Amino acid sequence: MCKQLVWLLLLPLWVGCTHQKHMDDENSVYYWRTEWRLDSTERAFLTQYHINKVYCRYFDVVLNDDNQPMPNATIAFTEKVPQDLELVPTVFITENCMHQRHEGLARKLVERIVQMDETNDIPKVQEIQIDCDYTGRSRQTYYDFLSEVRQEAEKHHLRLSTTIRLHQLSMSAPPVDYGVLMLYNTGDPQKFQERNPILDLRDVQPYLRYLSDYPLPLAAAYPVFLWQRDIYGVRVEHVVEADEILQVKAAVEKKRSALRHTILLYHLDHDNINRYNHETFESVYRH
Amino acid sequence: MKRLNRFIAISLVLACCQSAFACLWIETHNYYLFHVYNSEEFSTRVNNITKDNWKAYLGSTEEYYYFNADEVRKYAQSKGDALMASYVTNLEKYLDCASAVSSDTWNYPTKEELAQRRQVLTAVRQYALSKLSSRLRSQHALLFMRCNMLLGNHAENVSFWEARSSNFIETVYKDMMKNIYAGALLKTGNSVKAGQLFAEMGDWNSLMTQYYEKRSYQAIRAEYQRDANSAVLPFLLQDFINNAQEAYDGNEPGKQFIRDISKQEAHQMIQLAGQVVKDGRSRVPALWMSAKAWLEYMFDSRSQALADINEAVTLDGNEWMKNCARVLKLYISASEKPINAQFDQYLAGELQWLNQMKQEDIFFGNALDRTIHQVLADKYAMNQRPKTSQALLGFLNETDAQYENGLDTMEVSRLEQFLDYLKRPDVSPLDKLLASRITVDQTKMNDLVGTKYLRICRWAEAAKWLQQVPVSFYNKASYAVYAANRSFRVEPWMKRQWLKSDMEYSSEEQHMTTNPKLDFANEMMTLESRLPKLKGNDYQQACYDLAARYAQVSFSGDCWFIMRNGKSIYDKVRNNETDLNKEAVRLLCKAVNTSDKKLKERVLFALSYEYINPDTWYKSEWDSNLAEYRIIPQPDSWHYKALAALADFERDNNAVSPYVSRCDNFATFRKQYK
Repeated sequence: MCKQLVWLLLLPLWVGCTHQKHMDDENSVYYWRTEWRLDSTERAFLTQYHINKVYCRYFDVVLNDDNQPMPNATIAFTEKVPQDLELVPTVFITENCMHQRHEGLARKLVERIVQMDETNDIPKVQEIQIDCDYTGRSRQTYYDFLSEVRQEAEKHHLRLSTTIRLHQLSMSAPPVDYGVLMLYNTGDPQKFQERNPILDLRDVQPYLRYLSDYPLPLAAAYPVFLWQRDIYGVRVEHVVEADEILQVKAAVEKKRSALRHTILLYHLDHDNINRYNHETFESVYRH
Repeated sequence: MKRLNRFIAISLVLACCQSAFACLWIETHNYYLFHVYNSEEFSTRVNNITKDNWKAYLGSTEEYYYFNADEVRKYAQSKGDALMASYVTNLEKYLDCASAVSSDTWNYPTKEELAQRRQVLTAVRQYALSKLSSRLRSQHALLFMRCNMLLGNHAENVSFWEARSSNFIETVYKDMMKNIYAGALLKTGNSVKAGQLFAEMGDWNSLMTQYYEKRSYQAIRAEYQRDANSAVLPFLLQDFINNAQEAYDGNEPGKQFIRDISKQEAHQMIQLAGQVVKDGRSRVPALWMSAKAWLEYMFDSRSQALADINEAVTLDGNEWMKNCARVLKLYISASEKPINAQFDQYLAGELQWLNQMKQEDIFFGNALDRTIHQVLADKYAMNQRPKTSQALLGFLNETDAQYENGLDTMEVSRLEQFLDYLKRPDVSPLDKLLASRITVDQTKMNDLVGTKYLRICRWAEAAKWLQQVPVSFYNKASYAVYAANRSFRVEPWMKRQWLKSDMEYSSEEQHMTTNPKLDFANEMMTLESRLPKLKGNDYQQACYDLAARYAQVSFSGDCWFIMRNGKSIYDKVRNNETDLNKEAVRLLCKAVNTSDKKLKERVLFALSYEYINPDTWYKSEWDSNLAEYRIIPQPDSWHYKALAALADFERDNNAVSPYVSRCDNFATFRKQYK
């Protein structure tokens, strides 16, 4: 009786902790170009920071003129993927694709990924990731779509993850194995003179309260990219200071310690690697 | 009142506003005014011609024809045209390979398919090569070069063109071969010649790819020195001037940017353009003088710009360059010359010309848009001709946002005058032209005039106009789903009338049976007419009921559609509009003296409703040490005082109603209120 009581008392604690399980200590990185080709700096970076897993954008899915979702900007594998590297095929889907259900889309998407792996001799693929900036309007359709993708992926023994943007933390969790919390593109691009639109702790802070109870295992992705854009024909460049990244990392890990396990950077690129020093990368990848 | 979690939600709403900002599109009308070649791209032109050729072969009269290999092959076989049938079969094989190369289809190719694709291309190439002496040699030569392009045989394409296909008769197929040849030149290192060919063909996409990293004053000067009549110069010059215009249009102080074109570089170009005209070596001085004038207008002397553009329209150039000079002359004249009868006459002629030319190329429509929005509308408004100013915007487009906003926000008496002006325009030829091009939708105007009277709370006059509007008009309105599913009788501080997203985004037509605006006007007339006859708690209850309606139809209420056509987080009280929330507060202040405690609690609760308060009871400040927002109470704010009055009432009466205790904003306030 006493034992049962102890279990009953511990049960809520156990339930509360399940969503923080299953994430391994792991360093990863996104690859977000249209051609797979690594230079020596990028290869050295993977080795130096023990990165064995790369979330590689395979293609986007966009609506065509007939309102049908189609692949776009498919990556070209112009060189072989190293045998010791695990790729996570990642597909970005525009939000308007999820304004209505598209019959057969999940099957086509998974089959295309599997075929891309086979044609290009991609080794060790074990999971896929879907990236979509879903909103209240598209959430239910997107979640139904993810359920279908998950079923299709299971046929090929693949796990499924999705990206989670900060504003999506207030919604119910998607039906996937885990999420990657995107800690970038948090600000208002119009107010770039006041706050960094890529990342600013002040923009992250209102969402921290959702972190501890979010019912899905989460990895964390931090930005190391340069955002160049033309505003009225003039070049504007945004880049996040290393301190800001580390402050955000500390803040989110304080609310949810499991976020220190699986850490990704967005994204692998020669220039991004040279933008920050070794100490910064060491600190971001600290578990 | 559904105020659960509101306090915490405030910061989220603020954060959501930020993402919404990203979507906020503010039309600047900063269209390019320097445009010296046809907007139709090479690929569009040749596609259209090849379609026409297929149509001619098939005898088709279809307006929207799409090439169908099977259809052409069957037709060729029926005519006994074996050569065409085999050509189409091989062309189809090539096109299948080419579309698969783009790799953006759901069927990603297998390894075997890739190998097979190469085999197919090689076979089609061999087939095409064998038919170069046939009746369809141009088509087969093109097919041969296309296969080579996909196979990466660029050097072979260069030699093939130079030795053979350049001597073929002029056809669209030869144009396409020449284009492939230019691409092959670029791939094999002969970029100067490739650039000339792309420019001559009007292949602006290829030129941009080729010159993307080499666009500057220095590059233009070097190209001019190499060849004063280089075909690439108009492309490079247009690109430079448009980039300079981008810098001019975005010229706001304090921006953290690196300019693409600096003022110094623009001045260097002004000097160079003047020198080119003086040299006399260019066959198109109109191009250079127009460039000089537009740069001067943007970065230097506007009077010199006017003098130069007047000269530019007299100089030699192709049709596009002359039209561009004319467009710039209009813009610069509109900016620099005074408004008088002579200018009206000139403007009427130029507006008609541009209106006609915009059918031919989007550039002219865009130029018209910029000239009216950035110069003419303001200029006529400041010269005491507001009706002409408004009509210019309507002439541009009756769905133009500024035109519609002008109609929507102008004083009701001015709208009535404007409608009269459209029927009986002033004597100026300009006014006559403008009025003749603008149509008036009487139902829309009845709704608009009625709505304007609603906004200033003149219910009877509003009803007079609104009763002429059928309910079908509102069932088709963009806000119909809100109008059909929300009620202005609901107290906004008690219940938010959210719609389920399925309903909100449904495209189903609504089926209201009565005119919602007229219903509101009639209800307000009834309630307000009763008010003077009431006393005591009845009077205070009536004030409360009226206050609820005022707040509900205000810009922050759920029934905003009574007063306006759309809802935005940036909404506020506009010109020629009563501050309805202020009116609600005024009435609540009358109701607050009631002896009915239940009513008093509701009134106090309503007064503390944040959306009718101009400022909130706290400010939040970022604390970088704590890495979170801190709440700083503002005891002098109206909102703070309203919440304090509610708190005092609850304390003194010791009976908090559930709707008050559920309000997290109030709970947060109570924690710091002693």
